[in-house]
Amino acid sequence: MAMRSALGRARGIGSAKDGFHHWWIERLSAIALVPLTLWFASAVISVAGADYATFSAFLAKPWNAGLMICFICAGFLHGKMGMEVIVEDYVEPRCVQVAVRIFLNIAVYVLGVISVVSVLTVAVRG
Amino acid sequence: MVQFVLPRNSRVKPGKSHKAPAGAKNVKEFHIYRYDPDEKKNPTLDIFEVDLDEIGPMVLDALLKIKDDIDPTLTFRRSCREGICGSCAMCIDGINTLACLKPIADVKGPVKIYPLPHLEVIKDLVCDLDHLYAQYASIEPWMKTKTPMPKQERLQSPEEREKLDGLWECVLCFCCATSCPSYWWNGHRYLGPSILLQAARWVMDTRDEGQGERLDDLEDPFKLYRCHTILNCVKACPRGLNPAKAIADLKVLMMERIL
Repeated sequence: MAMRSALGRARGIGSAKDGFHHWWIERLSAIALVPLTLWFASAVISVAGADYATFSAFLAKPWNAGLMICFICAGFLHGKMGMEVIVEDYVEPRCVQVAVRIFLNIAVYVLGVISVVSVLTVAVRG
Repeated sequence: MVQFVLPRNSRVKPGKSHKAPAGAKNVKEFHIYRYDPDEKKNPTLDIFEVDLDEIGPMVLDALLKIKDDIDPTLTFRRSCREGICGSCAMCIDGINTLACLKPIADVKGPVKIYPLPHLEVIKDLVCDLDHLYAQYASIEPWMKTKTPMPKQERLQSPEEREKLDGLWECVLCFCCATSCPSYWWNGHRYLGPSILLQAARWVMDTRDEGQGERLDDLEDPFKLYRCHTILNCVKACPRGLNPAKAIADLKVLMMERIL
């Protein structure tokens, strides 16, 4: 039987003194993704149906490889932060929520690194 | 916690039907949620037919008519009947509002009246507000100062006073908090639009000297940042306030002290 006062429950274990950073990076990555997504769409259209040599030549240009890596990083970062909020909102119980967040973080960093290395490999090796 | 389906013992079943007296000409149906904790039964939806020619224009008038003349066991909170006390908050026609400010004429078809969503129901339309009041107390809604007590009142210019407009008018009816999905799912930790609007009322008050401490206490992924700008709060507020803007202003202050 819980006999803790209502105020005790409401105050709980206090403020985390954190939250701004997550909110801020989520918005910054969203803003960055607007031009990056437009660039990515135009890039996909420009090399659509092309052979591998044309595509690797496209990615070998520093601007294209750089913007592709920026798009991947911003996309994964924004996706990770958005998913974290969804998991916090909807996944219960707490132990499952924490487990999902750990898995999410590992998955995003592994996939992100693989994606960036792939771009660099195609850009450098052709 | 997220719940998409009501627990088995909370599902609403059909209830009693009360017909209008013979000769009534301007009859409107009111479908009202009923729950009696003394009977170990599911809640029901009772139907009351009321002659609109016999009552005032607001939903609260109909509720008072039903309680006075049809079923005295109908339980609801009410006091001022003019939107100042915030007691008669309930979900009418799918939107949380004050029964005393909601014209019956605004509702097409039967008027469906439920208690505020996602709170424990004590009886009929009366919900348990303990946690919301405790959350209100947790933001310490009083002036905090370091400056010694002046001989006269603490001064505030008209421009400084204007910053409180849109905040001081809140009557703590909790229509906004209980319309917010984020508050439904995480109300045990998220303060919700009503309490955050109240928090902003004190943070924005230029006479208050505890702004930093207040922001410290609010900076939390759940207490403040669970607001996902869904904006149900703005639609629900019967006083026409904008809790979402108050929350955004708090986030801007958080940004100002970091960037």
